[in-house]
Amino acid sequence: MADTAKANLEVAGSSGKTSRSRELVYRLSRLWAWFFLGVMVLFFVVAVPIYNGGSVNFLTVRNSQNILVAITPVLLLGLGQTFVIITAGIDLSVGWVMSLASVLSALAIRESFNAGAPLFLSVIAGFLAGALGAGAIGFANGTIIAKLKVPAFIVTLGSSFIVRGLSLLWSENTTVIGLPAGIRAYGNESLFYLIRGEGGGFYFFAPPAVTGDMLRRMDRILPYPVVITAVAVAIAIFLLRRTQFGRHTYAIGGNVEAARRAGIPVDWRIIQIYTLSAATAGIGGFISTLQYTAGSAVIGDPLLLASIAGVIIGGVSLAGGAGTVVGTIIGSLIIAVLTTGLVELNVDAFWQFIVVGAVVIIAVLIDQSRDIIVGRVREGS
Amino acid sequence: MLRRHLLALAAGLAVAVASQGADAAGKIKIGFLPGVVDPFYQVMQLGVEKAAGELGIEVVTQIPPTWGVAVQTPLLNAMVARGDLNYIITAPTDKEQMVPTLQAALDAGIKVITVDTFLGDGDYAAGPVKFPISYIGSDNTEGGRISARGLAKAIGGKGIVYLMSTNPNVSSVEGREKGFKEVMAKEFPDIKVIGPEYDLDDPAKATQMTAAILQQHPDLAGVFGTNVFSAQGAGAAVVNAGLGGKVQIVAYDATKAAIESLNKGDVSLVLAQKPFDMGYLAVEFAAADAAGVTSLPKRVQTGFAIIDKSNVKDPAYSRFIYQVPGK
Amino acid sequence: MKEPILSVRNLTKRFGGLTAVNNVSWDVYPGEVVGLLGDNGAGKSTLIKCISGVYHAEEGEILFRGKTVTFPRPIDARRQGIETIYQDLALANNLDVGANIFLGREVKKRYLGGLIKTLDDAHMLEESRKTLESLHIQFPTFTQPIENLSGGQRQAVAIARAVYWDAKVMIMDEPTNNLGVPEQKKVLELIRRLRDSGVPVILITHILPDVFAVTDRVTVMRRGRTVAEKVTTETNTEELVQYMVGARDDTRPVGQALQREVPLPH
Repeated sequence: MADTAKANLEVAGSSGKTSRSRELVYRLSRLWAWFFLGVMVLFFVVAVPIYNGGSVNFLTVRNSQNILVAITPVLLLGLGQTFVIITAGIDLSVGWVMSLASVLSALAIRESFNAGAPLFLSVIAGFLAGALGAGAIGFANGTIIAKLKVPAFIVTLGSSFIVRGLSLLWSENTTVIGLPAGIRAYGNESLFYLIRGEGGGFYFFAPPAVTGDMLRRMDRILPYPVVITAVAVAIAIFLLRRTQFGRHTYAIGGNVEAARRAGIPVDWRIIQIYTLSAATAGIGGFISTLQYTAGSAVIGDPLLLASIAGVIIGGVSLAGGAGTVVGTIIGSLIIAVLTTGLVELNVDAFWQFIVVGAVVIIAVLIDQSRDIIVGRVREGS
Repeated sequence: MLRRHLLALAAGLAVAVASQGADAAGKIKIGFLPGVVDPFYQVMQLGVEKAAGELGIEVVTQIPPTWGVAVQTPLLNAMVARGDLNYIITAPTDKEQMVPTLQAALDAGIKVITVDTFLGDGDYAAGPVKFPISYIGSDNTEGGRISARGLAKAIGGKGIVYLMSTNPNVSSVEGREKGFKEVMAKEFPDIKVIGPEYDLDDPAKATQMTAAILQQHPDLAGVFGTNVFSAQGAGAAVVNAGLGGKVQIVAYDATKAAIESLNKGDVSLVLAQKPFDMGYLAVEFAAADAAGVTSLPKRVQTGFAIIDKSNVKDPAYSRFIYQVPGK
Repeated sequence: MKEPILSVRNLTKRFGGLTAVNNVSWDVYPGEVVGLLGDNGAGKSTLIKCISGVYHAEEGEILFRGKTVTFPRPIDARRQGIETIYQDLALANNLDVGANIFLGREVKKRYLGGLIKTLDDAHMLEESRKTLESLHIQFPTFTQPIENLSGGQRQAVAIARAVYWDAKVMIMDEPTNNLGVPEQKKVLELIRRLRDSGVPVILITHILPDVFAVTDRVTVMRRGRTVAEKVTTETNTEELVQYMVGARDDTRPVGQALQREVPLPH
């Protein structure tokens, strides 16, 4: 057996050509959401002015900023959810956690301000109350899921009810109001201002004190909620792509048994991931308190399913192991662009649900058929 | 009587508008953004469309599929971003949380008229929020008082009653809760009020919560459902428990379902608001404002029709039942 | 006579009332491929899992390089250099070659005085390439998820992982299952190459041709006990089969081999 020839293990049983075309189809299937978003934007850019006789345009500065603001809550909920679903889990509590964080933030801001703290510090207090309070819930979720081996669906569903009760309890069943007036600026002002047309200009940080017609032509560019969300998104992308934490997230989703045997602290990672998911929801609740100048115990309820839809449309497979934060951004954008576009076409708001639902189903179908396209069996199926 | 006053007001406005030139009014575009999909707001939409048709005004309507700030705000922002609206007629879903977004609409050059619910404390002349042109809606506190007296009469002046409301911090139902509790406390000390509890404007939740209360208090005498869905849901729970007619129900908002229950004897009193008038007047106000009228009242109270078994067939009252043709 | 690199002495492992490994004593010497042969249920996998730290034996001891060792967790066995390649390969199909080879032991670059640690993908890729080259394996691409590779290639990744982490003993559990014939040949070649580079290989299998293709010695297990130890060149298929089915048994006096096996009461 003195065979010293090189063992050249090449792709067994298929010629180079078919594997390349399979590769191409595979790559296209991952990018379909981008494609869909592009087509949709194009459609609205063309249709909106036509329908409205030229008086309304779709791709305006204000519209683009509106869309960014509109995706803020859904995207924040989706950020943590991305990590969770990559590990083949699910977090159904994020909607109510966001509400609880909104209430806690509002209470913290109000009480610290009334106790004499300067506005900026009370805003910080609100952020901490929202993010840490939410994180605590996530920590509890993750611990029960990892250590007691209860399925994530059940744990997060159950905790969502508990959190809902706490939100209503601590808000005393009403909106938490009485926040200092300066809060509105944190939630609605922006980094830049653009005044279009005559006498206009580009301003940084402080809005010029204009009234009347010039005020009407002023657009807010990059409102603070969008800035905070952008920072959170950047951190999430970094975590998922460039750190060991992100690598382990993918590993747990790909083959949890292999991850365990490789020495990955799977239980601890799961706890961290659910804590992260709740914390991003907490930041979302904090931001909504700033935007609406009040804490609301019910704000997150309609957003949970939209956030999951955004994650799935963005290509995160429910079976785990695949997906990116950028994909989630695209998925959330699709939902927000759709809502805005439909309003500008004067179409009833409920159509957005029908379209989003259809897109989610398409996304899942593409995800399932991706394996058939490439011709292999998934690990563990 | 109130109705006659409203008619006179409307006529006067029409004259004012016409005298300033129909052109000025015809060029404006109005956005209509009510609270949620339900018969009350659908009838309001009829009023809006009637006035708009008569005045030649274009209306862009978006009705939020569910109640909530998180749902109403993106729709409002999208309407503002159109850039072609002059007025927005809206029922704000929270008297505090909708302020920044509506203020931003004003900054963008869109004037605001609130219907059914208000911002701040509803006093746009001297209160904390002053920028909307007007608040057109029922006197909900008085409506709550009327409901309390009606329910008290139906249950014989004593017993336990359940107050089923929708969302906290919404001015309309808040007023009804306040009026109800005020009258019960002052005029009917033998009646104990449980609640208000919030069903978040979901009839299914209202049914669930009422059923739970019925379990807890088998001797429950009456229920006050403070709006369309609350009354509907609570009514369903009572009927499901076989207590139709024994537990007295006062329903705010005269939907067809509520009237049917009234006919069957499950509901003893229905308070009909006048959403058609609210919508109609709001459009008239916008047209008047566009035509330069500056003396518009900051608060207009539309009235009630109090419907019970004795007058439900009387056309003078039944015309206030919320019906949308073809539905 | 060389010293064994790995020994088990009187190892017994029970699961409730079932004795899966029954008082087994066995040695592995450096520079050899030793086959662990037996039918399903013979106890081969259980024995191996005791050695690699997945299970803890109730009785007996394990000696590694002359010293008694205990492995509370699999990672402790791996740290000593005992690498196991399981039937399911324990690879993450959604990750690439480098990620799999460094799974759980990722290399990080530090920034800001250690505050921020990122994955050093370039380093891991380079090391993976070198390792696979040293095993004379070529892959078309290193950056695609390994689910795109064939079964034999994934087997190679699992082996490369063990080699990279400096395996002193390689345990392979039925590696040629689920492989086509050409790929089976290549895996066996890899095993030989491992042995030649100084890494002893324990090959668990129930496929007799593999035993004769690549092993130096073979141990047969049946019902939790070792029933034969043979030098491969000194035995044949028929004999090994007899050991496997119980018709022959070197540990029992002649004539008793056919009796039913009863677990030793303890």
